[in-house]
Amino acid sequence: MAGSMKDIKLRIKSVESTMQITKAMELVASSKMRRAKERVEHSRPYFETLHETLTGIAAADPRARNPYLRRDEIKRTLLIVIAGDRGLAGGYNSNVLKQADAQEGPVTVLPIGKRSAEYFAHHGADLFTDEVLLAAEISVGECFSLSRKITEGFLKGDYDAVKICYTRFDSMMTQTAATMEVLPLTIEPTEEQKAAARRSQILYKPSSEEVFRAIIPEYVAGIVYGAVCESVASELAARRTAMDAATKNAGEMIDHLNLYYNRARQAAITQEITEIVAGAEI
Amino acid sequence: MTTFHLTVVTPDGCAFDGQAERVVCRAIDGDLAILAKHGDYCTALGMGEAHIVDAEGTRRRAACMGGMLTVLDGDVRLVATTWEWAEQIDQARAEASKKRAEEILAQKNLDKRDYELAQARLKRALVRTSIHP
Repeated sequence: MAGSMKDIKLRIKSVESTMQITKAMELVASSKMRRAKERVEHSRPYFETLHETLTGIAAADPRARNPYLRRDEIKRTLLIVIAGDRGLAGGYNSNVLKQADAQEGPVTVLPIGKRSAEYFAHHGADLFTDEVLLAAEISVGECFSLSRKITEGFLKGDYDAVKICYTRFDSMMTQTAATMEVLPLTIEPTEEQKAAARRSQILYKPSSEEVFRAIIPEYVAGIVYGAVCESVASELAARRTAMDAATKNAGEMIDHLNLYYNRARQAAITQEITEIVAGAEI
Repeated sequence: MTTFHLTVVTPDGCAFDGQAERVVCRAIDGDLAILAKHGDYCTALGMGEAHIVDAEGTRRRAACMGGMLTVLDGDVRLVATTWEWAEQIDQARAEASKKRAEEILAQKNLDKRDYELAQARLKRALVRTSIHP
């Protein structure tokens, strides 16, 4: 009996220390989360205006020539996959990687985040660069140089489509892994925009082609940066939720173990009394 | 004077959202000014000084780098990669950056990429240092 009491005590201790770790991780995630959420909220207007403006132009002037239009045949796709740098975030990493695996046809992968890079290196995927980009540390500037490389490759014809797999930050509780098409420009104008288009004549300076040439790299960079911000916030939210659940589970486990421990202790006392009484009668 | 609605957004947030009398900035093919009732227009931006005259007539200067400017139905949108108000610019940092870029450019046998990066850095630093609050 005394042996099992000791065992239970040890289990309680180990669960308690695990709980301390998960609790600490939760706190770290939620404090970082606040900053990441702010960043998402700050970058969203930029991202949305950029997108809205481009759709507006495309709708207003469907004849605008630009080298980023759809090609007849899509031979190869560049897939930008944004995952986390660390694990222990529930289904965050596996969800986004599953999204990426669902992509059909030959792909070149540009991983962002250590997990994503490790996964694709392990699976022998065709990689865009060998350097590992950390999702948490990527800056606007890096997104721009990345975007320049991406658009250069597209214009050279290394791939005919660019897609991005990321995790959309819907709220603190829900994050959805999604795939978005970046290039070629598949902008579907809304009815309202089409109506507005008929009566507008946009003046492009110096020419629509040059404007597109200058703007598209910006647009791609904006999308990449926006997706990274969303993904980082999602990762932290996912980790916070996962760690919260883990802390709760640990608490429940400790309660159960305490119950067993008390039971074992009581049984030991009862047994001792029985032994004493038995001894006294003789 | 007549005003128009102007929004200036950057990846770091919204820099300006309101009525303005005039906005001046540098596009890829030179400086341009937009006044109210401008026709539909679209251009990409270069690097240079920009300023906005708001509804009260105050002139605010800023460093504007990259992005695009569109006018659609009288609504002006300036989507900039960087937009820093004159009072926000860290002059000391810009000076240091300028010096560093010049040091890099002074070296011989630079590869093309490094050369371009340093050149871009020097340009940015020059724009920033040229704008005194």
